[in-house]
Amino acid sequence: MFSKKMLIVSLEIILLVVVFLLIIWPMMSLFIWSIAETWYWPNTLPQKIGFEYWKQALGLQKSLAIGAVSIVPAFFLSLMIAMIVVVISMLIAIPAGYALAKYRIPFGGFILFLFLMPNAFPQQPVFVNLLHIFTKLGLAGTVQGVILVHILVGLVFGVWITNATFKSIPPHMEEAARSVGAGKLRAFFRITLPLAAPGLLASAVFVFITSLDEFTGTFFVGLPFVNTLPMTLYSSSGYNMQFASVIAIILLIPSILFMALIQGVLKAEYVGGMG
Amino acid sequence: MEAKNSVRREFIFPPYLLLLFPAVVFMLLMYAYPFIASFTRSLIDAEGNFSFANYAKTWELYLKDILFTFAVTVFSTAATGVMAVLLAVYLRFSQSFISKILSGLYKVPIFIPFVVVAQMMNSFLAPHGLLNIALAKFGLINIDQPLQLFNFTGLSFGFIWKMIPFSVLIIHGGFQMIDDSYIEAARTAGARLFKVITKILIPMSKSSIMVALVLVYSQIVGTFTLPYMLIGGKSPTTITVDIAHRVNYFRDFGVANTLGVFSYFLVLFTAIYYLRSSVRKMAEDKLVQE
Repeated sequence: MFSKKMLIVSLEIILLVVVFLLIIWPMMSLFIWSIAETWYWPNTLPQKIGFEYWKQALGLQKSLAIGAVSIVPAFFLSLMIAMIVVVISMLIAIPAGYALAKYRIPFGGFILFLFLMPNAFPQQPVFVNLLHIFTKLGLAGTVQGVILVHILVGLVFGVWITNATFKSIPPHMEEAARSVGAGKLRAFFRITLPLAAPGLLASAVFVFITSLDEFTGTFFVGLPFVNTLPMTLYSSSGYNMQFASVIAIILLIPSILFMALIQGVLKAEYVGGMG
Repeated sequence: MEAKNSVRREFIFPPYLLLLFPAVVFMLLMYAYPFIASFTRSLIDAEGNFSFANYAKTWELYLKDILFTFAVTVFSTAATGVMAVLLAVYLRFSQSFISKILSGLYKVPIFIPFVVVAQMMNSFLAPHGLLNIALAKFGLINIDQPLQLFNFTGLSFGFIWKMIPFSVLIIHGGFQMIDDSYIEAARTAGARLFKVITKILIPMSKSSIMVALVLVYSQIVGTFTLPYMLIGGKSPTTITVDIAHRVNYFRDFGVANTLGVFSYFLVLFTAIYYLRSSVRKMAEDKLVQE
């Protein structure tokens, strides 16, 4: 019996090591590249390491190296786009999520369908046609166009998460407030909204991260004029591994941080839409 | 007076219309219209006439890539499914300290955006990348002949790496819903662990496993970043990369949309399954609530 237990424990340790290596090893590749100042093949590790490329990328140090770009403008552009996208998406998503949760709606099935479709089908052909439409409207290659596309991507998640949040609030809370004379709006703002706040915040953070990391839509609608962080990552990945790795790590930090904080609130299916 | 009032009440603007209006209009203009346009534009040729010319051209030029996309997707989904079920089974049964560490560790890739995964795999799987260097170090390969992984193998590795954790999350959630008493009853009746897994655990959480597989499958078909940064224009590549090339280099929206229609067809069955099960689940939720 003792030996069987030992066998199980050693198998578990092997499993842990394998999983650990499989997950951490590719991530290490990013980290090592980001601090590799000189790395000639076939050396196992870089000959010279340092934060040269980090300094250059963060604009602390000027450089004439090929592909050396300061990512500071891209960072602020991405941040600005993400903030605008969160505000507009949530203004649209909260009422819709509320209505879908609390009312019996004619053609409700069709509306649910409309918000489920983007999860069920590839979105890239939609972005292609948005490029076609935006070109006619003069929105192609503009920040406004990119914001619209990011809202599209974020809105779907926004509506589902807010909808789930409002569903989880028992209707009798609002009814109780109304029975003691509170108006419909007052009951919503004083009772339902504060109860829903954590879920709505989670939803907003999710939309924010989605916008920060959005690649495909920006690629079609925004290039070559709107250089968000993921676009800068892509354009430097061809010839400057170090810059691409620095940007990748910078993109990684908020995703891991925020998502780790709110993962308890999120349903697995929504998390699946990441990236 | 009474009658007039009741007639008037019927014309009161229902509040949900106002609440839903912005979201629905946005989705109709920004999603439904371009979605339908993929079909209509795929049927319009370069001269603006109705024809199947785009389909003929797509078939001729990209059949190989369509099959490649399908093969990568099926392989990655199947491999993800098998490994995710095994890991979820382990997490369901083991109460050890190690399984607690693992249950936190495995989730990490879920939160890594695809664009970062793409860059990660791009440097990790490169001929001179960390994987090849380490394999050579352990004498498993000759450093002068590194593994070439910017192809089917590397792409599948990237997809599986990103998708297993998410699938484990859903499948493990399904396993957790099964009460311990079922498993204990089977065990006391003499069922071995393997029997418990194949006769109880998997059949009882069939729907979570299906949802995981369906979502993984349809996400892989539609993913652009990873194949674009890993394989790019080399042949064979995926439909998503071909669409980007068609648009960027030729401004050929006809063939690009035809490829898009093919990618819709690749996910047709999974999409129907997903839409049906989601709508059904929501209807059930509503009934429970009322």
